Amino acid sequence: MLIELKDVNKTYNNGQPLHVLKGIDLSIDRGEFVSIMGASGSGKSTLLNILGILDNYDTGEYYIDGRLIKGLSERQAADYRNRLIGFIFQSFNLIGFKTAVENVELPLFYQGVGRAKRHQMAMEYLDRLGLAAWAKHYPNEMSGGQKQRVAIARALITQPKIILADEPTGALDSKTSEEVMQLLSQLNREEGVTIIVVTHESGVANCTDKIVHIKDGVIGEIEDNREHRASQFGVNTIMK
Amino acid sequence: MRDLFTEIWESIRRNKMRTCLTGFAVSWGIFMLIVLLGAGNGLMNAFMVGGEDIATNTMQIGGGRTSKPYDGLKEGRRIRLDDRDVELTGGELFSDHVDQVISTVSTSVTVNYGKKHFSGLMEGNFPARQEMEKIEVRYGRFINEKDIRDSRKVVVLSENQVENLLGGGTRDTGARFATLSFGSESGRKTDVASLLGEYVRIGTFSYRVVGITKSDRMSDDNLFFAPYTTVKTIYGKGQEIDDITFTFHGLDSEAENEAFEEQYRAAVNLRHRAAPDDNRAIWIWNRFTQNLQMNKGRNILSTALWIIGLFTLLGGIVGVSNIMLITVKERTHEFGIRKAIGASPWSIMKLILAESVTITAFFGYVGMLLGMIACLVLDKTVGQSTMSVMDEQIAMLVDPGVDLGVALGATVVLIVAGTLAGIFPARRASRVRPIEALRAE
Repeated sequence: MLIELKDVNKTYNNGQPLHVLKGIDLSIDRGEFVSIMGASGSGKSTLLNILGILDNYDTGEYYIDGRLIKGLSERQAADYRNRLIGFIFQSFNLIGFKTAVENVELPLFYQGVGRAKRHQMAMEYLDRLGLAAWAKHYPNEMSGGQKQRVAIARALITQPKIILADEPTGALDSKTSEEVMQLLSQLNREEGVTIIVVTHESGVANCTDKIVHIKDGVIGEIEDNREHRASQFGVNTIMK
Repeated sequence: MRDLFTEIWESIRRNKMRTCLTGFAVSWGIFMLIVLLGAGNGLMNAFMVGGEDIATNTMQIGGGRTSKPYDGLKEGRRIRLDDRDVELTGGELFSDHVDQVISTVSTSVTVNYGKKHFSGLMEGNFPARQEMEKIEVRYGRFINEKDIRDSRKVVVLSENQVENLLGGGTRDTGARFATLSFGSESGRKTDVASLLGEYVRIGTFSYRVVGITKSDRMSDDNLFFAPYTTVKTIYGKGQEIDDITFTFHGLDSEAENEAFEEQYRAAVNLRHRAAPDDNRAIWIWNRFTQNLQMNKGRNILSTALWIIGLFTLLGGIVGVSNIMLITVKERTHEFGIRKAIGASPWSIMKLILAESVTITAFFGYVGMLLGMIACLVLDKTVGQSTMSVMDEQIAMLVDPGVDLGVALGATVVLIVAGTLAGIFPARRASRVRPIEALRAE
């Protein structure tokens, strides 16, 4: 198993203690394309934070590729995020004063890769996503879809074990949303990248092969969706 | 390194206006520091002009008046040094420390040459005097041993005195600085050296001018030199002398000097039947301790100026710190993103610290440069003017400015200041949680 969560609990202590995750058990295998679905307040964001090593959990165990992720120092956590996980965010989270190619280079910069090498790699990835011509453009000169593709290039460049996408289509129109989801499933199918998508949109979830429902801090149903029939709005559409 | 500076440049470029305003405070601080220290140096230099040439290990002794009754004699009695004091000084008693002893006799005279004349103090002196006082002879020579042995009638005049005799008419010495403030020998209208070998009349005798000394701003321009034996013989001074000067060694601290002075004073006082602890019976000018005190004063002044300058700079540092805090706040989301994709806390901290140091150092250097220019301007304006204190013309500032040491010191101060200014905002930046990245803008 690539990802294993065993009885993970998380409580927020802001005045009133809030038990957000109540014993999560979850396993995700290499090469899977999984979505985690839930309404707001269901704990899916907290789960994403823990999966992405952005936040700590209180009890339980979380393994990535057999490595226990617990009680890490900030530096170590940063290093794991850098090497193991690629993030795709709802609001793209590109750095505004850096060009597309500079944004894609950034994770390699934090790995200490030399200037020429990382520039060449970043150009390669942008080219694969059809954005080579936009390399020198700043994020505010690009469309939403283009920005998200730059973000995907940035997530892929370190060849991480997991791609974590947090509402990847949340800021896109339905056509672009479809394109992005197709891109993700293509990456999954053709290159065997493990992708976890966190969403509250059933259409997005329907694009994935497995849907994990989370509600009130516990895992509910785990749907096998290889047929992509989960969406009540029809196959291959994302309803906005 | 280059990546770091690219990042800093990007950040500064986005906030030109506020960076410049903040930088101004830093520039101002360093500017004040440099100008204060430069002016302070100029002030100290003005006090020290001429003084730094003199051998510091000399003491000069002169007669005074007793302030205490002793041995049946009333106070207020005048003490006159004589040849036996010279013998005492150079004798067994003080041979541990005293090296060379010379005495002088002097008398007020009028020096005539043709129709010109000036009045001055003729000091009978020894060749060793030149070394002790670092008297600079411009033309000819100083008094030599042969002059002393033969009691020759020769004099060593100063440049200004010679000029009075040759050119500018009958001048009393009070006006001498009129020529001086115009500067060096290039400004002299007369060929001073032409008097060399000529004879001047003093009293009823003719004296040959054998040497001409450099006039500087501090030395008493009344004074000129003749052989000790000549003055003593002609003016019938008998045993009496005016003062004793001796060089010494092995007295390295103020305490040692004081102990020696006390001992010396007691010995001389007793010879003149004055109380051994009467410190007005004879006067002792110890150049060594004077110099120590001067240096102490100099250090105090410079420390005080550093403190004032640093406090001025502090305002600038607080400004930089403030602006960096705002920057960190504005960039919280960005730092969150950076951390989410693998930036370590230290790499974020480095970014802010380096930016703070860069801003401080850059604007600090601008201030330093302007400060040095201001010192040059001071030198060209105030540095050229003199003021009158008790009938003496004194330059207000001499060579204001700072040396390389101060510039290096200020550089260290700037880097430390930049780090201090950055450390608090940088820590805040490094503590930004990566979850910030997930928060929508």
